[in-house]
Parts: sequence; C-alpha cells; structure tokens
Amino acid sequence: MIHRVAVIGGGVAGMQTALRLREQGLEPIIFERDTELGGKVRNWHQLFPTFTEAEAVLLPLRNRIMRENIEVRLRAEVKKFDSMSVTLTSGERVECGAVALCTGFTLFDARVKDEYGYGIYDNVFTSVDIERKFVDGEFKRWQGREPERIAILHCVGSRDEKVCQRHCSKVCCITGVKQAIELKKCFPNADIFNFYMDIRMFGPGYEELYHTAQREYGIHFVRGRISEASPLMDGRVQIKVEDTLTGRPLRMSVDMLILLVGMKGNSENVHFTEGTALRVADNGFMQPKDLFANNVCSQEEGVFYVGTITAPKSIGEVLNEAVVAADRIADYLKK
Amino acid sequence: MSFYAPFTLPFIVGTSLLFLIVVWRYVSWFFALPKADRRLFWRSIPSMATFKSLWEAVRECLLHVRIFKVDWRLGYMHASLAFGWFLLIAVGSLETIAYLGFEMVPLQGHVFFKYFAVQNGITEHKAVWDFVMDFLLAVVLSGVLMAWFKRLRSRSLGMRRTTKHIVGDKVALSFLWFIFPLRLVAESITSALYGGGSFLTGSCGALLDRVFGDTLLAYAYEPAWWCYSIALGGFFVAMPFSRYMHIFTEIPLIFLRNAGLKVASREKSYDNFEVQACSRCGVCIDPCQLQSVLNINDVQSVYFVRDRRYNMLTQQTAQNCLMCGRCADRCPVGIDLLSLRLNSREAMRNIPAERRYDYFKGLDRSEGEGRVGYFAGCMTLLTPRTMTSMAQIFEAVNEQVWWADRDGGVCCGRPLKLSGEVDSARKMMRYNTDLFRKHNIRVLVTSCPICLKVFKEDYNLEGIEVLHHSEYIARLIASGRLALHHTDDTFTYHDPCELGRGGGIYEAPRSVIESVGRLLEADHNRRDALCCGSSLANTVINDASQLRIATAVTEELDKTGAQTIVTACPLCKKALSRSATHRVRDLSEVVARAIVK
Amino acid sequence: MALNFGYNISKPRVIDIDRNNLRKSTEIIRELPELQSCIGCGTCTASCTAGNLTSFNFRKVHTLVRRGEYQGAYDEMNKCMLCGKCRLLCPRGINTRRVVMLIKRKLGDF
Repeated sequence: MIHRVAVIGGGVAGMQTALRLREQGLEPIIFERDTELGGKVRNWHQLFPTFTEAEAVLLPLRNRIMRENIEVRLRAEVKKFDSMSVTLTSGERVECGAVALCTGFTLFDARVKDEYGYGIYDNVFTSVDIERKFVDGEFKRWQGREPERIAILHCVGSRDEKVCQRHCSKVCCITGVKQAIELKKCFPNADIFNFYMDIRMFGPGYEELYHTAQREYGIHFVRGRISEASPLMDGRVQIKVEDTLTGRPLRMSVDMLILLVGMKGNSENVHFTEGTALRVADNGFMQPKDLFANNVCSQEEGVFYVGTITAPKSIGEVLNEAVVAADRIADYLKK
Repeated sequence: MSFYAPFTLPFIVGTSLLFLIVVWRYVSWFFALPKADRRLFWRSIPSMATFKSLWEAVRECLLHVRIFKVDWRLGYMHASLAFGWFLLIAVGSLETIAYLGFEMVPLQGHVFFKYFAVQNGITEHKAVWDFVMDFLLAVVLSGVLMAWFKRLRSRSLGMRRTTKHIVGDKVALSFLWFIFPLRLVAESITSALYGGGSFLTGSCGALLDRVFGDTLLAYAYEPAWWCYSIALGGFFVAMPFSRYMHIFTEIPLIFLRNAGLKVASREKSYDNFEVQACSRCGVCIDPCQLQSVLNINDVQSVYFVRDRRYNMLTQQTAQNCLMCGRCADRCPVGIDLLSLRLNSREAMRNIPAERRYDYFKGLDRSEGEGRVGYFAGCMTLLTPRTMTSMAQIFEAVNEQVWWADRDGGVCCGRPLKLSGEVDSARKMMRYNTDLFRKHNIRVLVTSCPICLKVFKEDYNLEGIEVLHHSEYIARLIASGRLALHHTDDTFTYHDPCELGRGGGIYEAPRSVIESVGRLLEADHNRRDALCCGSSLANTVINDASQLRIATAVTEELDKTGAQTIVTACPLCKKALSRSATHRVRDLSEVVARAIVK
Repeated sequence: MALNFGYNISKPRVIDIDRNNLRKSTEIIRELPELQSCIGCGTCTASCTAGNLTSFNFRKVHTLVRRGEYQGAYDEMNKCMLCGKCRLLCPRGINTRRVVMLIKRKLGDF
C-alpha cells in the first residue's frame, strides 16, 4: 500500500485535506502552481458573516502544514494524473496511492458583460477589486472626495444564460451584504445600494447579517438587475435599472459601481476528463459521483474532489468537506 | 402525309392545356402589375435589356451556368435535362425538315417523328440524324439517371441535402422520370421492327429483338408509343401545378427583372413570377445554418417559397429565418428570397395601430453639435466599448460630432421592418429623418450595420452621406487624418450579415484591420461568411439555439489562431463573445487602442 | 389609450385569478413555455428603448397577461419598437421579441 496522497491545489481545500490526511497517518504532498499556499483566500480581506480576517483562517493552516512537515511543492503545475501517479509540467513523475483534486474555481471575467463598463470606466470595480483595496488599506488612505453613493450589483456572471453561467454562485449575496457594511464603516456618509434579483442567505448568521445591514447600517436594497452603466463627465457612473417593486425604471449616478462576480468552473476541468471516467457537469464544475454520500468521490477510484472544484461553496463548507474527503481517502487506501 | 394517330391524344391534350394555363397565368399576372411596373417593362423592350435577358435566358434556363458554379455535377444534371431536352426538340424539328423538306408538320409530327416516318412509308435512314438524336437522348437519360441517384444519395452530387417534395411534385416528377426511358423503349422497338436507329435505340432494339422476338415486339409497338405519349401528356398537365412551372416562368422573370421590376415591401403580382420561377433545386438548403447547426429542415427558402406558392405558409415558417442572405446569394434563379419573405411577414402582421408611436412627438435626446452625426443604435448602447472608442477616434481627428442617441433614442426601424411591420417602421424612419435634418448634419456615421442598411435603403437622406464606422475610419486613415500603430498582433474578422451580404462592405473593415495588424481569414469569409445566429430577423429560435449557431462560428474563428476576433456589429460582438475563447472586439476598439497620440 | 398599469379608480386592484379567464394566457404560455422562466429581474424594462420614453413596462405587461389581466396589453405592447435590447440582456434567455409579437397577436381584440 502506498501511503502517499497527491493533493493538487494548495488553497484552503488543499491545506485542510493535507492536514487531515496527516492526522490519518498518511503522507500528503501538496502541488501548488502559485508561489505560496492559500489560493484565492489570500486576496480576501474579512470573511462573512463574522468579519474574521482571512489571514486568521490561513495562518493557522499554513503554520500547521509547516509543523507537520507536510511536503509542499510550489510553482508545481500538474500536467496529468491518474489515481496512481502525478506528472508535473517539469516532467517529474510522483507515485501516489490516491489523488485529491482541490483546484477550485475561476472568477468570472466581468469584462464579458460589456454593458457594465468594467475595464472601460474608472469607477467600476469587481468585488475582488474591493477586497484587494481593503487588504491594501486603500480605503483608509482614501484621497479626495468621499464617495456619496455606491451601487453593488449582484449576480454578475451568475444566473445569466447570456454568459453561459446558469448556476447561482451562492456566496455573492452575502459578500454583497458584507462589503456594503465594510464600505459603510469606511464611508459613513455614503448611501450604499444593493441591486439584486433574489437575496439568498443560506448560511448560519447570513440572514442576521442582512438584517443588521438594513437596520444598523442603513444599506438600501433595490430589487432589480442593472441593465447598463454609462459614464458621466465627472467620472461617476450612471446606472439604469428597473425598480421592480415600484415597476418603474430608475436612473442613478454613483461614485462607485461594484460588480459581485460569480464563480466559474475552471477551463482546465475539461482536460481532467481526457482518458478518464471523470465528468464535467453542465455548469462547468466537476461532477461528483453523487450529491449525497459520495459527494467527494469521482467516477474514478482513487480520485477525490475537495471544495469548489465541484460547485460554489463558502470557506467553512470547503473546510468541512476537506475533512470528509481525507477520511474517505484514508478508508480507500486502507482497503 | 398524315400526322395523326390515336396514341398522340394524351400528348396533344396535355400540351394544349399546358399552353392555355401558362399563357393565361402570365397574362393575368402581368396585367395585375401596378401601372408603373408595366410601363417599365414596355420601355425596356426596345433597349439593351432585351438582349441581356435573351442571353441570360439561354445561360440560365438552358445551360444553368449558376448551378455549375455551385457544383459541376449538379450543373451537368440540370443542363443535361434542360439543354438536352431543348436540343432534342430543336434537332428533332431539323430532322423532320431533313426528311420532308419545309412541309407544314404539326407538333406531334415532330415529337413522334420516328413513328410517323414509318407510318408514312419513309424507309430510307439518315444515319447522321439517327446518331445525333440518339446522342441527345443519351445525354438526357444520363441526367435522369443522375436525378434518380441524387434522390438516393444527394451527397454524390455535391448536396448534403435535397428538397423534400409535395404530392403534385412527386406526380410530375414520376412522369418526367418515365418520359425518356419510355421514349427509348418506343424508339428501340420501332428500330427493331422497321430498321434505323443508331448506337442507342439501334442496339437497344437489337437486344429487345433477341430477347422477345418479332411477334412480341409487334404487339408492344403501339402500347409503347401510347405510354410515351401518356408520360408526356401527364407531365404537361401536372407541370403548371408543380415545381416544373419554373421551366417557363424563369424566362418572363428574367425579362421583367432586367426591366427593373423589384420585389417590394408589400406583396404584388410580380412576386408570382419570382415564386413560380423557383425550381426547388434545393441549393439554398445547404448554406442555411438553421439546417447545418440546428437541423431544422422545413423553413429554408425552398420550403418558404413552396408554402407561399400553395398558400400554406405559416407564421412559424415565415418567421424562422435569420435573413443572413446566404441562400439568396447562391440561388441559381436569382430569386429575391429575402424581400419575398419580408413581404410575407408584412402580409401576416398585426393590424397596424395608427397612434402607437405618438410619443415620439417633440422628442430630442441628442447632444453635441457638428456636421458629422453619430448614430450608435440601440445595440451599441450595450457595447459601450464601441462608443467610447468612437469618441476617442473623433477626438483624435478633432471631429465635431453630433451624438444622436448616446442617451437613448428612437430605434432605426429596421427590426420592426424585419418583423413585417412596415407602416410602423415608417414612423420611426420619419422621426429620425426629421431629427437628422433638424441638426443639419452632412455625414451620418453608425456602428450598427442593421441601422446602416435601413438608412441606406429606406430612409430618404438626400444630402447626408451615410457611412458605416468601418468606412469612416478607413477614410480617416486613407486621408492621413488618423495615424495608427501597426503591430504584429493577429486578428480575424467576422463579416456581419447586414454589412457584408446586406451592404456589400467587405474591404473597408479589412483595410482598417490591416493598418493595425495582421488579418487571418476564417474558412467562411466575405460573401460566404457565416451568421452569428443572433439575427434580429429571427423571432422563432430560442436562446440555446442562438448560442449553438454562435459556437459553431466562434470555433471556426478560433481555429484561425488569431489573438483577437474582430467584428463590426454590436449584435455579432455580443453573440460571439458568449462562446469565443479569444477576446471579441469591435473594429473601433482595435483602432482606438492603436491611435498614435 | 394611455393605460396606467396598476392604478385604476373604477376597478378593484385585486387580480382575481378565480374570475379571470386564463384561456389566452394558457395559450400564450403553451406556445412559448420559456416565458414562465421569467424571474422578474427587470433588466428588460431597465434597458427598454420605449420604456425610457414612456410608461411602457414590458415585464409588468407580460406578467399581468400571464395572470389573465389582458386589458390594455395590446396597446401597451404597441409601444415596443422591437429593437431587441431586452433579448440581448435577459438573464433567462427569454425570446422577448417573440413574447411581444405573440401577445399582440393573441390579444389584438382586448
């Protein structure tokens, strides 16, 4: 029996899987194509719904990886794999007993939604840009005029047939609420509007945070999806939307338009299926064996899925799933 | 000399009926034409148009040159039947003259000459004539054989799909297919019994003689001629009620068309000539992307024209068309398929509401001032990159611009026209024309080919030059007003239907691209370019189907290996960006990024 | 007839599904089932060329039609210019231009 398990992807899913595998007495090895561990969470500022610093989640994970002496290969891109081995782009081949795929998701490219003007107008940002600005402390050092009005648009690259993204990305709603509160804390005089189609507050404490945003922070929620944005002479952006609850078109000039970008299945997912029984679901994410007792298993023996490779998930869910997956891998190897 | 036998009756009746029906139809259609159209025709008679028409009739009705251009096998099939048959008749008449001199011979005397020659005791055989007639019969028979084969395997004649026919067509078709084999049998038996015949009828006769013997053949002699005559008569009766009406109708169509008659936005009598000139050859099926991508098999032009001809046109068929023009471009008869479909839609439209656009009154949302007007069009408002790029270009060349609809305006009217609501579309056209006049512009630039087409074709914009932004930019570059950085970047270009086939603008966008980088052509380009699938003309296919068409197009564009896909239509841009793996940009974006500051 | 959808003094504002004759609405939905997938996001109305110049609200009209409220629908739909912006934006991929034409055809006499 080979005790080595290849963990492909070193984000929170990969790290947590590796740690649990080590607890099970196995020998995980993490392949991360980036220069450090942490994945996308490295770019996040505070996490919903508790405003926990992202670093507070990442740091313990990283430290434990070090302490446990788990082998980590950085700048290591996996070219191909099967349940018995992993081949890197460098040509190196690593034998293993099982593979945990933790490659995550791709952020939707907001430039595709031309009509919102991302990449054209100065004051249109994505939710990721906003996290970055918080991390960099840009809002604290904000120069010039404080924004008076901020619009946050939900479902950009989610629930949109026009960009071939039919699914709901799940975490954007709560991210919108969280960022609205964060922005309100930075700019107390600003009016912040969330434009939504449906508000989906699925997790623990989410609905409460929504409530808090409305009651304590005075965040506005307008039911309607913005159709277009156009630039104004002074650099602001004018948005067009239907206020569906009054049934009338609404125009508004805002200092900042924030697009809550959704999650997309990785384009590399298709390559995983070449010569294997693995399957990509219609939504572009990997299709697990089933959505219940085997939701971390794939159609191939010895290949397991962890985290957002199979669907949009929150960080907490991913961390849980990693433990389950590691336990299933241990069971598989002991058999 | 007697040229009558009972078996010729079916032929004589059939021919007379055909003649009466065809003449009655043409005359009644002609006199139902608007006066102006008729005047156009009379005036064209003593002009060059007549010679042009005559030559075109020979080229297309007999030789089928345009079908040869689609596929030589298909061309041969059509030409062997049409031109072969024509020569059989013409040479047959010469043959009678060769035997009888310039004696008055009734029609059946020419057609059944082999029979009457025997009947009238002519025993000498002129081998040259026998050979020529046999050769022509062989040519026609080869065409019939190919037609049979095409039914079984259309691909062998260069067609992926062939037309599905209705009952009347099948009746006429069956008669047609039997005419020449039956003629072969009748003439072979005749030459077996009475001598004559060349390599075909002669040797067939000898073979029949050996197999069946003289006595049996003598019994079969009269019935064989009867069968041939019935096949001819049957075909002639079925002809005006089947697709074979096209054989004659193409000729008046050519004359009327060359006289300047056109399919209009409302149905009129001239449409009869266009509709009935369709031979249902099915050349229009293969280029249709609804067929090749979506496997929709009952809406193509051939079926639309058929249904319209037999008054069984449904909304579903009339509306399910991208109006990309790929079929019309290839139609061997040159039928104005798009205009016909549009006026069918017009005939099927809702009752127009007179006051529906009263709200246009007093509306003016334009801004700026200048001799050059820019009309973005509704769709361009959804591709703001195009608008900002145009603004940068205008700024770079210091152009004073009047912006017609940056803050929303009234639609150009083309979408409504495409749905058949011509009256209502006119209200928009009038509104926009007044707006352009009020602001006194000299040049009107638009980045939407849909708007461009309607401005050019339906607006009366005398004194205002209408330009697509690709033409405008090309002009700026040519005159040296706009300097661009040339790089090694590679681009591929998608021809929008309304701009290319619809407006004939192929080179301007290409020259612009070549001044900023290298252009790599896709497999289908220019006249043969594919449609993005999101055409406003189609209100039937759903979103998923539009996406499938677009995906097939982007796959081809991606295959060129170009870094950027360029197009010059906001609708195409939107449609293609859904599935392209490379960036899709409007022409103006590519230009704006390359401006030398 | 300029109808203000939703406000009418003489008629009760209740949409009475029990009383409304849903035959036409059923026909419309049967012909174009995708209309049922509307999630009422309002993108169509926000972008609407006619809706920015008049009180025309495409989303509201077709929703009311689906509830059996046909009055004025034809006149309202007639304000549409069929420009197609809404179809290009609809996140559910609804063939909105066909909806307009279908409602006008079915409800011409209301």
